[in-house]
Amino acid sequence: MMARRIPSILPDLSFEEALETTKIHSVAGVLSKESSIITTRPFRAPHHTISSVSLVGGGRIPKPGEISLAHNGVLFLDELPEFNKNTLEVMRGPLEDKIISISRVNATLSYPCNFMLIASMNPCPCGFLGSKEKNCTCSPQAISRYIGKISGPLLDRIDIQIEATPVKYQKLDSEEQAENSETIKKRVDLARKIQQERYKDCKIYSNSQLTPKLIEKYCKLDAEGKAILKSAFERLGLSARAYGRILKVARTVADLSGSINIEKNHIAEAIQYRSLDKKYWKN
Amino acid sequence: MLSIVKSMSLSGLDGYLIYVQVDVASGMPGWEIVGLPDTSVKESKERVKTAIKNSGYELQSRRVVINLAPADTRKEGSFFDLPIAIGILLCIEAIKKCDLENTAFVGELSLDGKLNKINGILPMCIEAKRLGIKRIIIPIDNIKEASVVDNIEILGAENLRQVVDFLNNECKIEKATVNVDEIFNNKNNYSLDFSDVKGQENVKRAIEVAAAGGHNCLLIGNPGSRKNYDG
Repeated sequence: MMARRIPSILPDLSFEEALETTKIHSVAGVLSKESSIITTRPFRAPHHTISSVSLVGGGRIPKPGEISLAHNGVLFLDELPEFNKNTLEVMRGPLEDKIISISRVNATLSYPCNFMLIASMNPCPCGFLGSKEKNCTCSPQAISRYIGKISGPLLDRIDIQIEATPVKYQKLDSEEQAENSETIKKRVDLARKIQQERYKDCKIYSNSQLTPKLIEKYCKLDAEGKAILKSAFERLGLSARAYGRILKVARTVADLSGSINIEKNHIAEAIQYRSLDKKYWKN
Repeated sequence: MLSIVKSMSLSGLDGYLIYVQVDVASGMPGWEIVGLPDTSVKESKERVKTAIKNSGYELQSRRVVINLAPADTRKEGSFFDLPIAIGILLCIEAIKKCDLENTAFVGELSLDGKLNKINGILPMCIEAKRLGIKRIIIPIDNIKEASVVDNIEILGAENLRQVVDFLNNECKIEKATVNVDEIFNNKNNYSLDFSDVKGQENVKRAIEVAAAGGHNCLLIGNPGSRKNYDG
């Protein structure tokens, strides 16, 4: 329900972005005859039976795959552990480089693939691990096999993890109107603007692209923040690779609240997006 | 007699110029396509032959040689049907001599002579404009997509007959224009809105953070926590 709405809160496409996305869709032959230029961010949700070739692109003369069709938009992978493991692993490079180069006998071609990966999964094969309503019926081996489908390196590239809990009846029934996309988008736009301004000399656009060196430069913590992070590391047993990611996300949280420095509540929120690592993957 | 017609092809996300060279001569009747064509290009032989016949032109048994230059890159796709047909009709003088130096043709023919929609028209038009080509004739179904490109005359034709009549100055083809600004100003076109999502404030907040920083995001939840499905 959530994932499909994400494009509606992302910043508007610029003309150049729109043209590039339309070009990919044009070459792949997925444009309808009524559509001219694509003005909305693409949302691609391939089924989990997808092959690695159709995910990243390929063919005798390589054609763009789903990750390129999601360029400047969202790639949504529902039921992540159901995907073929090799299929997921081929995404590792493109997730980092934002471009995929495909070599075949006849041609070597590059397609851009700057997409936001949104994935969803159950905590175990039966789905009810940790549920208050039903008992989980899975064996520990089955759970670890299921969870193990998502490799460390892939998990490494996913900055935010969040647990969704079923909604209570009172909430569904309530008359209270939830916040609309436009309001959320305004905040997102503002945060993006701050980032663009900050990184204009660094050749990156958003906090997710920060390199370790830039993290050191732009994600400084005060003493209090450092203390929180240290205690979280000890308590949750976080790994070194979690460190950079927490700082990146904390930077975004700070940007969303318009704060120049990363405050303690920002770092605390960022740590919370990391805690599932420990709970399910034990690393 | 020899004729040379310009066309476009695709290499990844970039278009590039192709010269379709057609020679129709007397001799052993036959049909040869050279220039590293793949199966879909080779098959254009039957489409073009039949489309020409069904558009009311007579193609006598001649020796037809077609070269797609540059001849050292592989050609794929059905978009050379139209330039090949135009090349042949020029050779047999069904089209009067005209200046085609600044005109490119792309399009797939169906057996009745109708032009079918093809893939990758946008990069082709962008490249054609860059090369200084003034006019490009494409299938009518591709016109909306192509007309985003300005400063080049983009003409959408319905069938082969129309293209021939146009080149012979017997009919006109309307130019298509698209107001890109207008399309862009009409932003509010997402059908789904977050106002339908009640509760789950923590997930919504995480998604907001992910969107703000371009972070990848993983949602874990029991069945029925509305990670994906509506309801």
